[in-house]
Amino acid sequence: MTFADVYARLAAATDCAPGCSPKELVWESGKLRLFRYQPTAPSSGAVPLLIVYALVNRPYMMDLQEDRSLIRGLLDAGLTVYLIDWGYPDGADRFTTLADYIDRLLAGSVEQVLAAHRLDALNLLGVCQGGVLSLCFSALHPRKVRNLITMVTPVDFHTPADLLSKWARKIDVAAWVGDGNVSGDTLNQLFLALMPFRLGHQKYMDLLLGSPDQAQVENFMRVERWIFDSPDQAGAAFREFVAWFYQENRLVRNQLEVAGRKVDLRSLQVPLLNLIGSKDHLVPRDASKALQRLVGSKDYTTLEFDLGHIGMYISARAQREVPAAIVRWLAQR
Amino acid sequence: MGLDSTFAPLMESADRFAAAARKCMEDMQTPGPAAVEAARTFGDFLRVETMNFFRFPWSANPSSGDVSGAAPPPSMQDLPAFGPSREHQLRWQRTAATGRRVGDAQHRLHLLWSDALRDAAIAFAARLKPPCPSPAMRTMPDLEALRGLYNSWVDCAEEAYARVAHSDSFVGALADFMNASSEWRKESRASIELWAKALDLPTRSEVNTLMRRVSSLEEQLRLKEQDRLNEQDQLKNPRDTPRTDPPRARRPSRARRGKRP
Repeated sequence: MTFADVYARLAAATDCAPGCSPKELVWESGKLRLFRYQPTAPSSGAVPLLIVYALVNRPYMMDLQEDRSLIRGLLDAGLTVYLIDWGYPDGADRFTTLADYIDRLLAGSVEQVLAAHRLDALNLLGVCQGGVLSLCFSALHPRKVRNLITMVTPVDFHTPADLLSKWARKIDVAAWVGDGNVSGDTLNQLFLALMPFRLGHQKYMDLLLGSPDQAQVENFMRVERWIFDSPDQAGAAFREFVAWFYQENRLVRNQLEVAGRKVDLRSLQVPLLNLIGSKDHLVPRDASKALQRLVGSKDYTTLEFDLGHIGMYISARAQREVPAAIVRWLAQR
Repeated sequence: MGLDSTFAPLMESADRFAAAARKCMEDMQTPGPAAVEAARTFGDFLRVETMNFFRFPWSANPSSGDVSGAAPPPSMQDLPAFGPSREHQLRWQRTAATGRRVGDAQHRLHLLWSDALRDAAIAFAARLKPPCPSPAMRTMPDLEALRGLYNSWVDCAEEAYARVAHSDSFVGALADFMNASSEWRKESRASIELWAKALDLPTRSEVNTLMRRVSSLEEQLRLKEQDRLNEQDQLKNPRDTPRTDPPRARRPSRARRGKRP
């Protein structure tokens, strides 16, 4: 296969849309949209699972395409799945705070799910930064969460391997943000600068030299779209997130307050499953593993996968193992 | 960014890489100083090839843009500020100073990036030293052998870059760049807002003030609505706690909830 062949396939795949599982909009608040996925299998009887994705990327990575969909795996096991889409903040959202995200928007979404199912607690799956938001919410509203799952979630932001945190610690984040939002493009450049040769060069060379078929090219283009489809970040929330977590490591120091209330991870008594990618360059494994020593839960499980950050969402191995692990763990509780 | 602009440089780069790798392998057929020199030359080629390929957050200099009112006349840069234009002169001087700090930090980052590439080139050349080349590479390298060389270069480069990127000097230079850029942007905005005021145009600061007022009003409305709902709940269910606590929804029977969900 020549470069021209690969190029032609790439051109044909340029407009490949991500997302494969049908879903319906059940609630909106500002830019937030709460979706419920249509079931694909008889219900397992478990309480609904609400997926809380990060603010810094789009949540369709959870349901990228049929053979690369964590959500599809959960649906096929009979789980009822909801997903929060935070949307694209614009200038009008520049004063949206973490308290707004956690105690108003996430809390509002939880209320919607609970009311729809006439329950008083649900299962929560927080992904990456969404895991941090989920931990905060669960600590503030422990009775509304039956089981908590965190996936590639940073908790200790000062581990030696955490390059992003090292970079962030000396930056005057208040000056950086000013009164505005933070550009998603700038954040993307920072993420790529963590491993520039692999992320900015090698993966393209691998594609060009790898004789990919059309399906592989389409998969590549969907991931590529996801990587660069980075919403701007609401300024106030971004400033708080960097200062409180990356710079001051408040979760670990037990000094975090959200909406005027203390977030004490020791108050988390719910069963907790922590999914870690041992090759994660963005959220080093030690940054996630720290959760175990900080929470009060006696029912705590860590599952490590020999995968990187993105591999945890969309690798073939993740498709086989991650949804199955979640379903198995939930079924045991 | 279109496909052309993404992949054309990669394809050209791949061609140059293949040519340089073949030359290197050819020269390394003879063990001894010539082979060492060939490896070093190839490492240097990769260093130069990579130097300007990547676009980092610190690659662009925000102060190099032509922002009306932000650039001080050179004659005023070091003069003491007094007289009717004192405030403008001070602002220009501050803007110029932050611009110089941005440039300085950027220069340090480029040097560190260059150091990382130098270290990568040295490590890569060391890996190529005879008898390192595999039997496949002793003849003219095929595509797989070239790919192996390329992957080896990427490994060396990432390792060298990681050492630099974790260092205090890099962390400090990056912070200086970001912080000076933030200050430069703030000073530049102040200059632009002066022009906007002179032309009676709305400024970002004014819009922000209005947005803060709207946010505050929205919050007050939310709290009032919450109070109203709490009062309604209290009237309906006097023994219930307010709605800020877990909802009062009835728990379904265990059978309906399924097996120990």
